Amino acid sequence: MKDQGIENYLENLATPAPDPEARERAKRAALAEFARAQAADNILAFPRQESSDETRLSRESTSYGSASMKRFANRGWYAAAAGIGVLGLGLIWALPNFRKYGQELSHTELPATAQLPERPADAAAGASAPEGARAPEDHDSSSSPAEPLAEPPLPEPPPPELESQPPANATRHFAGDDQGAVDAGRRDAANEAARRRDESGQSEVDARALADSRQRESKSLGALADQAARAPVAPAPPPPQQPAANKGTGSITVTGMRRELEKSKRDKSEAAPVDAITAEDVGQFPDSHIAESLQRIPGVQIAKDEGRDRFEHFEINPVHRVADAPVSTFSADVDTASYSFVRARINEGSLPQNDAVRAEEMINYFDYAWPAASSRETPFEPTVVVGDSPWGKGRKLVHIGIKGYEVDRNEVPDANLVLLLDVSGSMNEPNKLPLVIRSMELLLGSLKPADTVGIVVYAGAAGTVLEPTPVREKDRILEALRSLRPGGSTAGAEGIERAYQLAEAHFRKGGVNRILLCTDGDFNVGIDSTQALKSFVERKREKGVYLSVLGFGQGNYRDELAQALAQNGNGVAAYIDTDKEAQKVLVQEATASLFTIAKDVKLQVEFNPATVSEYRLVGYETRSLEREDFNNDAVDAGDVGAGHTVTAIYEITPAGVTGSVDEPRYEQNRDKDAAKRAAGSRGGRDEYGFLKIRYKLPGERTSRLISEPIPLRTGTQTANVRRDVEFSTAVAGFAQLLSGGKYTGSLTYGDVLEQAQSARGEDRFGYRSEFIDLVRRAQKLGE
Amino acid sequence: MDDLALIRRAQSGDATSFAALLDLYYDTIHRFAWKWCGHAANADDIAQLACMKLANSLAQYRFQAAFTSWLYRLVISCAQDWQRSQQRHAHVELPEDVPAAGQGAAEQSIYLLQLLDQLVKLGEGMKETALLVHGEGLSHAEAGEILGVSESTISWRVHTIRKHLNESEAPAEKRG
Repeated sequence: MKDQGIENYLENLATPAPDPEARERAKRAALAEFARAQAADNILAFPRQESSDETRLSRESTSYGSASMKRFANRGWYAAAAGIGVLGLGLIWALPNFRKYGQELSHTELPATAQLPERPADAAAGASAPEGARAPEDHDSSSSPAEPLAEPPLPEPPPPELESQPPANATRHFAGDDQGAVDAGRRDAANEAARRRDESGQSEVDARALADSRQRESKSLGALADQAARAPVAPAPPPPQQPAANKGTGSITVTGMRRELEKSKRDKSEAAPVDAITAEDVGQFPDSHIAESLQRIPGVQIAKDEGRDRFEHFEINPVHRVADAPVSTFSADVDTASYSFVRARINEGSLPQNDAVRAEEMINYFDYAWPAASSRETPFEPTVVVGDSPWGKGRKLVHIGIKGYEVDRNEVPDANLVLLLDVSGSMNEPNKLPLVIRSMELLLGSLKPADTVGIVVYAGAAGTVLEPTPVREKDRILEALRSLRPGGSTAGAEGIERAYQLAEAHFRKGGVNRILLCTDGDFNVGIDSTQALKSFVERKREKGVYLSVLGFGQGNYRDELAQALAQNGNGVAAYIDTDKEAQKVLVQEATASLFTIAKDVKLQVEFNPATVSEYRLVGYETRSLEREDFNNDAVDAGDVGAGHTVTAIYEITPAGVTGSVDEPRYEQNRDKDAAKRAAGSRGGRDEYGFLKIRYKLPGERTSRLISEPIPLRTGTQTANVRRDVEFSTAVAGFAQLLSGGKYTGSLTYGDVLEQAQSARGEDRFGYRSEFIDLVRRAQKLGE
Repeated sequence: MDDLALIRRAQSGDATSFAALLDLYYDTIHRFAWKWCGHAANADDIAQLACMKLANSLAQYRFQAAFTSWLYRLVISCAQDWQRSQQRHAHVELPEDVPAAGQGAAEQSIYLLQLLDQLVKLGEGMKETALLVHGEGLSHAEAGEILGVSESTISWRVHTIRKHLNESEAPAEKRG
């Protein structure tokens, strides 16, 4: 058994034939239930209906034997009369058993209801409570309504079939040696279980268990119900309001329109100063969601759903004193997923969660006119621009812009791409699988005829859909793509391994070897643990197969994992929410996305204590590195593709301007000495700091260094660069506002809008206009 | 189809058809209930609950899903209700309660109980997933539909279950 594995074990598990007695019992119970349900359907809008529910409960009670009868006798049953006169929709549902807690209840729930002044409790309870509470034969005897729970239990002979069973404690043995004993034991166990459940208030099951004995009484009970219906009770007394969880005892729930109206009035009169809301009210409101209705209650605030999309949490980079920490180190980041996600969220009508806003990804979404490098060997020529900060008086913004060397499309080596596509059922949304397919079609258009494309799917029907096929046979690839359907029947757990196998089998030395993973957040690619997945991707990266992640859809998006995987796989993580975005990522930036010109690009800025007192890096929180990591070539960092632009913005407080962090009282001299010494060093008087960039060329293992001072006054820039400094500043301001505006002072969306509009420029693809539109929407949402 | 006609007649209030429907499906219900709880008498209870719920909610069946899928969902919901009601009482299950009948059956029942226990510990929905996929031989899509989760979630659960249980229980198991 144990060596079969769970699949075979469960499959071959021999099930014992059901006990015919239990089978009959269940059938009878169900048929009785069926008859009752039919009756309930047919006799609508007739007071009798309430009573018939009542009848049912009473009938059930008779089938219990003495113990349960006591319980029923003890139960305060107020509800019957309550429903009389009510449209017959009411349903009474009871979980009895107050025997144990009866005393307690009579001191808690009952007084509360009994105190209601408008309730003619005497008449109502006198007519209704006893009748449900005792054997039907006794319906005409009355009891004191004030303490129905204290009423002495009425003895009731147990029904014959229970009586015939052995006493509960007599057969506590299950040897299995003798069939009779086993049967007795089993019956006893069932009996015992039933009793236990009775005590726990779960007698509903058992109450219905012996449905046959109900039948006998239904007639007399029908008469009784009629009588109850005629009882002279005009206003309905409310039923005892007992939360079901209350000590596990029981509850009586009455529903229906009339009940709601009553309850609404009562709840409101009792509930002050806290308002109450009933289902009936909710139905009347024009609200589209129950949460909105709940918000009508004073003091109730429902937080807007921020989505279940998962983002890595980070704290916004703080202000650093140069005297304390003069060096700032971070990794380049060319991902743009954050911007697309934020855009999708805002276009949907809600502001994104803070962690979804990564300022650097929003800034880097746009292409800036930083001058490109001239050789492949030195792929960056940093552009450094110092200007005034729009959101901090007296402060400066330092723009560091790099643009990767642009490789002509014909110079790009042949690519071996394997698309790893999620085709799980959850991809069955217009902005998921169909968009993935359209995106991949776009990608095909930007590939060269000699490039090959393979397709592996996972999560639905697993496996290789298409062996790597040259792009010149485009039709075959398109056909394979278009045949993809979300969902499927077989599990595909080995998706990622298969994709790598395929890529390795068709490995192109010196070419582009890349897996393109498209998913809506389901990373069920065959390796369960995130860590294992990351290290798997990392090992494969060392072998030369890279991974990029394209995210689709919302609701379940696991951004943090997408980011981590793309980082480990030397790839980009992009989020594609529209065809336009697909066009941008897979057509305009196809070369950049596919062809890496520099790996492990790290930036480090050392600020000059003589000229700068404080600095703050905008964004790059998730990309920050330790100072010592900069020269350590073993530390992985971001990669830059051909023509990618990377922009970093520092806000600095020049020395002499009042900063936001107080000067230390005791170490003022130390800071002053440091500043003095710095001023005496090379460039100490006319530099804000010193920029260093480390990178590795593709295929190389040791890093190279580019360095450049950050002068107090940067030379004149071209109009395009000046414009793009403005625009990136606007984006940075927007990102900071979205994530809380901790350091942006009095900056408003309106300011951002103005700045962005003035720096829109030519805007060939309309991305900047879209940004402006986005700011407008955010402005409305933020109001 | 015959069954569907039967269901339609039962929905229109024909008690004989409903009885026939019960006869047809009681074994399925009971088998699933038994595998779910590993205990014959409890399975009787759950099955009875399920039959009664069927009586009440058959009218709500809209022929959109397969009837068995709908039925499994109903049985699972009953079983979970039943479980909750048991837990509310929080009694300690006596070991004598475990074996149902005969030595072999007893051993099987104990192993099943252990297995179910492990599945429950793996997380919510794991037990139901294992029972539907392995016990009832349903596809991941069908199981997902019944449990109201995506197919890939089922795949993931199956994978997790296989990993956790077969590693500890059956190292020699080949992947299915």
